[in-house]
Amino acid sequence: MGLGGLSLALSLVSEASAQGHWAAVVGVDDPGVVAMVELGVDLRRVLFVPRPRGAWAESAADLLDGVDLVLVRPPSRAGLIAARRLMDRVRERGTVLIALSEPRAPWPLPADLFFRVTQAEWVASSKLDARYLTVHVSGRGEAQRGSEHVVVVPNRRGRAEAN
Amino acid sequence: MEQFLAVWVDALALEQPDGSTLRDTLVLLDALDALCPFTEAVRLGLFVLPLRGPSRFFGGDAAVLDMVRQCVLDVVGVAPKLGVAEGLFCAELAAQREVIVPRGASDAFRRAQPLEVLGRKDLTTTCSRLGLHTVGAFADLASARVGERFNKHALTLHRVACGELTELEGQRDPRLARRLAQLRGEEEFFDEQQGFFGQRGAGDDRAEAAAHRVRRRLGADAIAVASLHGGRGPEDQGTLVPWGSPQAQARDLAPWPGRLAAPSPATTLAHPAPVQLRDAANRPVVMDARGTLSAEPAAVLFSSPLRREVVWYAGPWPLVERWWTRRRRRAHLQLVLATGEALLMVAESSRWWLVGIYD
Repeated sequence: MGLGGLSLALSLVSEASAQGHWAAVVGVDDPGVVAMVELGVDLRRVLFVPRPRGAWAESAADLLDGVDLVLVRPPSRAGLIAARRLMDRVRERGTVLIALSEPRAPWPLPADLFFRVTQAEWVASSKLDARYLTVHVSGRGEAQRGSEHVVVVPNRRGRAEAN
Repeated sequence: MEQFLAVWVDALALEQPDGSTLRDTLVLLDALDALCPFTEAVRLGLFVLPLRGPSRFFGGDAAVLDMVRQCVLDVVGVAPKLGVAEGLFCAELAAQREVIVPRGASDAFRRAQPLEVLGRKDLTTTCSRLGLHTVGAFADLASARVGERFNKHALTLHRVACGELTELEGQRDPRLARRLAQLRGEEEFFDEQQGFFGQRGAGDDRAEAAAHRVRRRLGADAIAVASLHGGRGPEDQGTLVPWGSPQAQARDLAPWPGRLAAPSPATTLAHPAPVQLRDAANRPVVMDARGTLSAEPAAVLFSSPLRREVVWYAGPWPLVERWWTRRRRRAHLQLVLATGEALLMVAESSRWWLVGIYD
């Protein structure tokens, strides 16, 4: 269970999807496909490997050859070699890899961008309406210093939006 | 695993040059689907349908089998072979042998079959030299040994033999759904619905090639696409169906009206988890026939040691069920926990199920 990290990642998929790119979701065993539609993901161009078992890295590598964005949730702690091989593939192909990880099993290599949800607050009327996520962003280059943003998931257009 | 009723109609298995086979297949498919929703034409001569829903509606498996047999007799004029088992592979075998495999016995049923049922003569010959004559004996070989001794194809068959994959490669005719849609005059509609065979670009070809690679690596069921369909909750409006299967090609991606308002949970459990809901005095929270709660929920119990305080809830909202479950009364409820996590629950009188996580 999480604080909106999966929703945030899926909304990143929606940006690529809206531009006509193919995406793949690996290792998310029960994806909320209705939520994906609401976030603006075009399901016609999304492939799912819900239960890759031991072969999550191989599946992700296969898919990086064919789609523009791969969202992967390793079933356990990702090994250094597997992670490095995947990131090499990403550079080679010019694609995007989003890795979802838990704090106790972090992605073993530094990423270009690292998003961490630090706080989640619901906006509710007679039902849950939206959620303010406080996201800490760090990484390489300009992002090195780190910064904090509040995003609304979903916003009126259904996407995640920075405030 | 889900039990399927497989319907084998010998008269429709061989395609006649006058197009009558395909026309009759379509008529029979529509007639069966009217009785039992989600009936599927797997390939010419073979239809399957999930048994559980119709069985509840018609009052038992035997009643469904009678209706289906009569339906085929009425439409085609000959009696079908019927069989029930778990998974497509076993269900077809059950139909060929006209047996009803009891729930939970499909594993033993599959293992007792002669190796010929896997459809590869070379494998059967090699195995019989090794003294292996049944699917079970082949399944008991370590997969590493299968890899050494046989070709790649045998590894997939080995997974079918072990029950890891529920259908044989080639068991489905991937073009049949499209041909039936053409015959219905729904070709345009059909093309619009699918990325793979609609307007194709270079990106589609690359994605398809990648999907093939993953399927070769992990098996037929491993790679999936999303399908949207009717239902009042996000947990039954969207499902994953195997990539390349007829359901995947006929999938509907239009948003469904009358559903629980957005946002939907980013995780929807394919197998809802039973949980307990307690009020402030630690009594179980019960929903009565009018859909009112006995008390405000204060805590949710997952398994005995895991208890979470509830800080906010909304609902219950009653659900309109599929037609064969109309007598059941269910409702949705949203919870926010003290930890900040939000959950979607389904209530069925005094029982509660976790169906979604807003993660």
